[in-house]
Amino acid sequence: MVDRPLEETELVERARRGDLRAWETIVCTHQGIAFRTAYVLTGSAADAEEAAQDGFVKAYRALGRFRRGASFRPWLLRIVANEAHNRRRSAARRERLSLRAAAEARPGDAVPSPEAALLARENQEHLLAAVERLSDDHRDAITCRFFLDLTEDETAAALRVRRGTVKSRLSRALERLREELEGEL
Amino acid sequence: MTPLELRLQALGHELEVPPAPDLTAGVLEQLSLSGTRPFAWRRTAVLALALVVIAVAAAFAVPQARTAILRFFHIGGATVIRVDTLPPAVERKDAGGLGTPLSRAEADRQLGFRLALPRFTGDGPRRVYVIADSVGTVVVRWHGRRVLLSEFPSFGATSLKKLAVNATIVDPVEVNGRAGLWLQGGPPHTLTYFDRQFGFRETTVVIRGNVLLWVRGRLTLRLEGKLTRRQAIALAQTIR
Repeated sequence: MVDRPLEETELVERARRGDLRAWETIVCTHQGIAFRTAYVLTGSAADAEEAAQDGFVKAYRALGRFRRGASFRPWLLRIVANEAHNRRRSAARRERLSLRAAAEARPGDAVPSPEAALLARENQEHLLAAVERLSDDHRDAITCRFFLDLTEDETAAALRVRRGTVKSRLSRALERLREELEGEL
Repeated sequence: MTPLELRLQALGHELEVPPAPDLTAGVLEQLSLSGTRPFAWRRTAVLALALVVIAVAAAFAVPQARTAILRFFHIGGATVIRVDTLPPAVERKDAGGLGTPLSRAEADRQLGFRLALPRFTGDGPRRVYVIADSVGTVVVRWHGRRVLLSEFPSFGATSLKKLAVNATIVDPVEVNGRAGLWLQGGPPHTLTYFDRQFGFRETTVVIRGNVLLWVRGRLTLRLEGKLTRRQAIALAQTIR
């Protein structure tokens, strides 16, 4: 586990010197989280693909500005999130996120009753609808922090705000969600 | 984590997210086509600072100007210095001195940035003149006059220096909400290119038209021609 940051540091350093093979490895490593970030911010697979791809191109060109020793992923996600926000603004609307179809239970799994499973799904759909009704700022904070499992620092970097702003947005968004879901939690 | 936070985290895993496409081919293709290397911001910022120092030193190196620098303006990658006496300069004729004529695509590739252009009818300029991989110039027509539009990185290794005597008007203006400078009238002023390809070699040419300088994104743009201030700003505002 100790080797990975060193390896990435070396790859970034090589890419900074113009080594496209090193950049290819970085794209392979981070394209999953980059696409997912862009997708939950835009709600569109096509926009997310464009935003993630352009994000990697712009990040490569901006490598000279990347501070040596800093964490690479938040810096990259910041650029990708910015591309996603630009596309969301130009589309003037954002597609709603949805839940995937319920997975089939594997043999041997403890399965809830059909009624309990239905209720759990309804609750999650209710929660998702409540998240969708939040303001853009609050929804983006919830999305990055919980849907993408980013740390507060990474969320701050992706949204180009201070960590304190992330904390206050999360606090207000959670309060709003609690109000909406009162009696259900 | 609170129960609500745990539910939100679980919800993230249940979202319908399409599988991530393989982006490597598209990214590498874009980078290969543009031929762009990572931009060395820190190094070029240091170089830009060095160039400003050199610009001042060069102005002082003109004996008559040594005690006669009256004012110093800096905008983007350009520096305007008022002096009493202009240094010796060559006349620029037609496209001579503007650099190597290239196709738009080749120019964008060499410059490492995409030229911002006015709304042209048709396919845009057939030729772009490039100096030292850093300054791109196109000829445009506006109000029936031939105007030169030049673009260069604001913080790149190349910089322009203008020397103007006191009779030349140097006024701050605004272009699309961004700061600019308008140079008009008086005797000709001179323009010096700092050439990164050949070190700090300078080429100084005489400029007889009016000039508008402004910053757009990370580029500095420059219009030169026999336009009024209003005409030049109107043209600048069409540049996208």
